[in-house]
Amino acid sequence: MGNIVEVKGLKKRYKDFEAVKGLDLEVAEGEIFGFLGPNGAGKSTTINMLSTITKPSEGVAKINGYDNVTEKNKVRESIGLIFQESTLDEKLTANENLMLHCKFYKVPKEKREERIQEVLQIVDLEDKRSNIVETFSGGMKRRLEIARGLLHYPRVLFLDEPTVGLDPQTRNHIWEYILKLKKKQGITIFLTTHYMDEAEICDRVAVMDGGQLIALDTPEQLKTNVGGDIIEVSTTDNINAKQKIEELYQTDVTESSEGKLSFQVQDGSAFLVEFVKNFDIPITTVNLRRPTLNDVFLHLTGREIREESVSQRDLMKRNMRRPH
Amino acid sequence: MEGIYAIWQRDVIKFFRDRARLIGSFAMPFMFLVLFGSGMSGAMSSMLGGNASGPLADFDFVEFMFPGIIGMTVFNTAIFSALSVVQDKEFGYMREILVSPLSRVSIAIGKVLGGSTVAVMQGLMMLIFVPFIGVNITFLMVIKLIPIMFLVAFAISAIGLLIASSLKTSQGFQMVVQILIFPMLFLSGALFPLSGMPAWMNVIVKVNPLTYSVDMFKKIILQPDKMDPALRQAMGLDLTIFNHVITFSQEIIVVSLISIIFIVLATIKFTKSEA
Repeated sequence: MGNIVEVKGLKKRYKDFEAVKGLDLEVAEGEIFGFLGPNGAGKSTTINMLSTITKPSEGVAKINGYDNVTEKNKVRESIGLIFQESTLDEKLTANENLMLHCKFYKVPKEKREERIQEVLQIVDLEDKRSNIVETFSGGMKRRLEIARGLLHYPRVLFLDEPTVGLDPQTRNHIWEYILKLKKKQGITIFLTTHYMDEAEICDRVAVMDGGQLIALDTPEQLKTNVGGDIIEVSTTDNINAKQKIEELYQTDVTESSEGKLSFQVQDGSAFLVEFVKNFDIPITTVNLRRPTLNDVFLHLTGREIREESVSQRDLMKRNMRRPH
Repeated sequence: MEGIYAIWQRDVIKFFRDRARLIGSFAMPFMFLVLFGSGMSGAMSSMLGGNASGPLADFDFVEFMFPGIIGMTVFNTAIFSALSVVQDKEFGYMREILVSPLSRVSIAIGKVLGGSTVAVMQGLMMLIFVPFIGVNITFLMVIKLIPIMFLVAFAISAIGLLIASSLKTSQGFQMVVQILIFPMLFLSGALFPLSGMPAWMNVIVKVNPLTYSVDMFKKIILQPDKMDPALRQAMGLDLTIFNHVITFSQEIIVVSLISIIFIVLATIKFTKSEA
């Protein structure tokens, strides 16, 4: 299979700030490609450039073989976009929202009915077709948006933080739909998220920080690269304990906001037995785990991706729009 | 083409769905006609010396105001229709439109056509008042009114879109439009006869696109040709520019030119605005 997304030396400069500093990447057809990074890493700017909303300052991006600057409309026909914020018309019914989309994207008249049925079925909203969107819950709106993004059979579906502000159960459902899509339609999915557990379903993950790509691999490989297992301990005296662990085991210790010290070791289970037996500062809790993508990010940047980094404004916006 | 239709259709659907707005839209014209119109009619006729006999005795202020009220309704609806552009930006729908393969030009034209259509419908609804004020409106007049209303609405919607494309918040839009509405309305001849005004005000009257719009409605509804010249004079129905009495077809040309200028400006401005 060929590459459906090709990006070379993509840059975006605003006055005196470089949001994206030269990006190269390729996404194969049918892949679920995850884009990770904290807010301000340049994820949204990149998606905006790929989806022809923002013009790149430098570099080339091609989608489905079409150039994002010179063949804008061809690119727009090839992609589906689901934004962080809702872009539904809430005063209209689900059906009207979908019908308008068909017209914007020139879906042939005789196929509209069938396609609307089909996409509504994918997201389980067939029975809500003639309801006004205002009456939908946050999760239903998101599903409707995904359905709408699929109407014109895009080759690439861009999902920008598709589950932000949704409760965990709804989030799981959304992911089920996304996986179903991949299986059924062979569609390429390009998503950004900062929920690390969600990034695990991706075939490949790109980690972005400060406008640059700092890693690109399968989630498994990224985790293996971290090396070893993660030990988390909390003690009665974290400051001394931190120093002592660093001296004894020659490893970097990071302290989380909840007062947990974490560090990496090879062969965690054997280490743990020896550690608990010999460490002389009283330990209150101890935990051993396999590295997660969050550790990958920590390992690569020295920082954690915080869930609260979702801008509060976005959350408020979304909550406000739920029916009362 | 279908894109323009889709943008247009959305505005029309939403117009009919919004019952509160539909009913509310009768409030302003009703108050103007009943409270302002009826209240002022006595004073107006005595000011014109119409209490005596003679040609001015035929002057009826409410009847005079009626074409102006239609003009006001068309004007308000058309300019406020552009509010939806700002709201679409605020509520995100504009992004759905802007990232679609639709050209910006068709979006702008669709929006202006949508606003114009809604304004015409709203203007036609004002005919509900006809039986209560004793204006004589024939079917032929209505047929004539529709295209003129549309032309006027198109020009005004384009002005609205131009303002909306330059602003980011609906509060900002409402502010600007409010500031614009009143002078345009008062100096258009919609609410009182434009006679014996100070020279500087007369200049504003003549550059106000609404003046010509309202005058066209008056020419259709009041039929000044059949009036006594003295009455016509008192009602300010002889609109002149450089001492030349402007005709109906010249007014069509003026408003068409205004439409073209503003639709071009609005489209350029809208095309440049980012998603």
